[in-house]
Amino acid sequence: MKKSEWSDRELEELLMQMPKIKDHRDPRDIYQNLSLKKRKTKTWLLPGLAVAAALLLFFILVPKMIDGTNFSYDSANEEKSSGNSQAMKSAEKDSTIAMKDQASIPNKSVSETNEKKMGLMSAASIKTAVYDEDVTDRKVLTYWIPDSQVQILVPVSIIVPAEKDKTWLTQFVDNMANLKEEEWGLSDYYPLKLSMNLDEKTNSVDVVVPDNHKYGQGSTEETSFIKTVNNDVFSNSTIKKLNFFTNKEAGIELGNTGRVKNHEIIEVKQHAFFFHFPEGSELPFLAPSIGTYKDINSAFEDMKTNNPTYRLNGSLEHLQPLSDVTVNGKTLFVSFKDIIDMKDDQLTVASFEALLLTAKQFGLEKVIVKESRLTHLGPFDLTKETKVPVAPNLRDIH
Amino acid sequence: MDSVFEELYQKYHHDVFQFLFYMVRNKEHAEDLVQEVYIRVFKSYDRFEGKSSEKTWLFSIARNVAIDFFRKQKGWKEKILEKFDWSTNHVRDEYPIPEEITVQKEEIKWIYKCLEFCTMDQRAVIILRYLQDLSIAETAKALGWTESKVKTTQHRSLKILKKQMEMSYEKEGVTSEKVGVER
Repeated sequence: MKKSEWSDRELEELLMQMPKIKDHRDPRDIYQNLSLKKRKTKTWLLPGLAVAAALLLFFILVPKMIDGTNFSYDSANEEKSSGNSQAMKSAEKDSTIAMKDQASIPNKSVSETNEKKMGLMSAASIKTAVYDEDVTDRKVLTYWIPDSQVQILVPVSIIVPAEKDKTWLTQFVDNMANLKEEEWGLSDYYPLKLSMNLDEKTNSVDVVVPDNHKYGQGSTEETSFIKTVNNDVFSNSTIKKLNFFTNKEAGIELGNTGRVKNHEIIEVKQHAFFFHFPEGSELPFLAPSIGTYKDINSAFEDMKTNNPTYRLNGSLEHLQPLSDVTVNGKTLFVSFKDIIDMKDDQLTVASFEALLLTAKQFGLEKVIVKESRLTHLGPFDLTKETKVPVAPNLRDIH
Repeated sequence: MDSVFEELYQKYHHDVFQFLFYMVRNKEHAEDLVQEVYIRVFKSYDRFEGKSSEKTWLFSIARNVAIDFFRKQKGWKEKILEKFDWSTNHVRDEYPIPEEITVQKEEIKWIYKCLEFCTMDQRAVIILRYLQDLSIAETAKALGWTESKVKTTQHRSLKILKKQMEMSYEKEGVTSEKVGVER
């Protein structure tokens, strides 16, 4: 019936003759596939959610990671050029501290060149503690100031010209009013509302508070008061005892402890030095730990960790890992050979100072770095021995 | 097995399968698609209002499934490429012809091949009208069209088929002549 002309009718008949195509599968198989498929449509949900969550995490983390690399890039640049903004800012601030301090010395010892040298040094990174060579014939005073949350005491040191006709105590009391606690990010605590008299015969200090004193109101008040006076006296003298008076009567009324007449000075030793960053500051204070440590190794171990409760940050983070820590006589030996990416920046300098101050807490007098990838760290020459600081956290009061 | 499934299978499975097969012209695809039809049916079975017969309702679902299948098959890239590549228009049927067709007489094979040249809508009308033996009204319901649209589409598709049949007759004539010459 091959032909070239087709009528509609013939086509329709042909179409009707088209064979029936059947599905030869078993209906049970079809049904089973069906339930499989139904489940399948749901199974993509879980991986889908996982992918969504992963993407979300990705988008949260990636900007941080980019920030992170920027940061290290910045700090890498800081080392090379001093033209970087953030580093400059903090360095400038620090240099003013140091430079003003230098300028404040009325003595001839400071020449213009010295000042320039100081400026250059601070453009890189500066030391924050007081060292022998900074003092010359001047007087160092250390004040223990509560942090902004009144949780810890931060020792802050100032250097003043020595006045032969004045005792250390008179100079200490005189300069209380000059402290700039709030500017430094600490609590406004000084001048203390009391008078102090030196009793050289008994090697003690008489602390006289007025009748309406507020140092006994509340347990934090009284502990920080006793601790502050104790530490102030300990850091600036060899006095062993405090005698308390209220107006002319012996003793001081403290809410919790009751009436206290005498207080034996408790030595501040075997503490570890941590970083305390005041609000908005990039330069940390070096603040001693709340507790004490049985040896320097356990102190160093703890100095890697943060203590957020007291806002004390790990101070050895930038000097990790320390190796071959040994003590010989009054000298601490330590090696930096395992610190692969040791940087010559301000925080690493601060870390090194935390190490020095902690060494001092354990009665040591100098630190020798046996091996180090860097020969110089800020102002420190690591190839030579380093004497422990005279006092921590040098600040300017002018 | 689900009683709903069993009932639907008994009554309509082969019709729906046949419809899908002639639409997509491939058994494996038709097997997959018929499952998809069941899934869609189960999803919306509660919403089936009985306005149309179950059969026309199933065909309308099957047609949508087939349309979706073609959409998925052709990504936008292929669609664009196809527009520029004119040679593909002439070699479109890449699927093997099933045994059920190959055993038939020559004309049936021709018309099966010629169906390829119809559009989706034209093919759907041909299948429903002549293979499933639905009336114009039933076809209109299954496709969601007016009856006159069914009629015109049917008329056009027959015209295309006629033209293609004549072309394949000519080709066939030419090849048999060639064979004759060789002898």
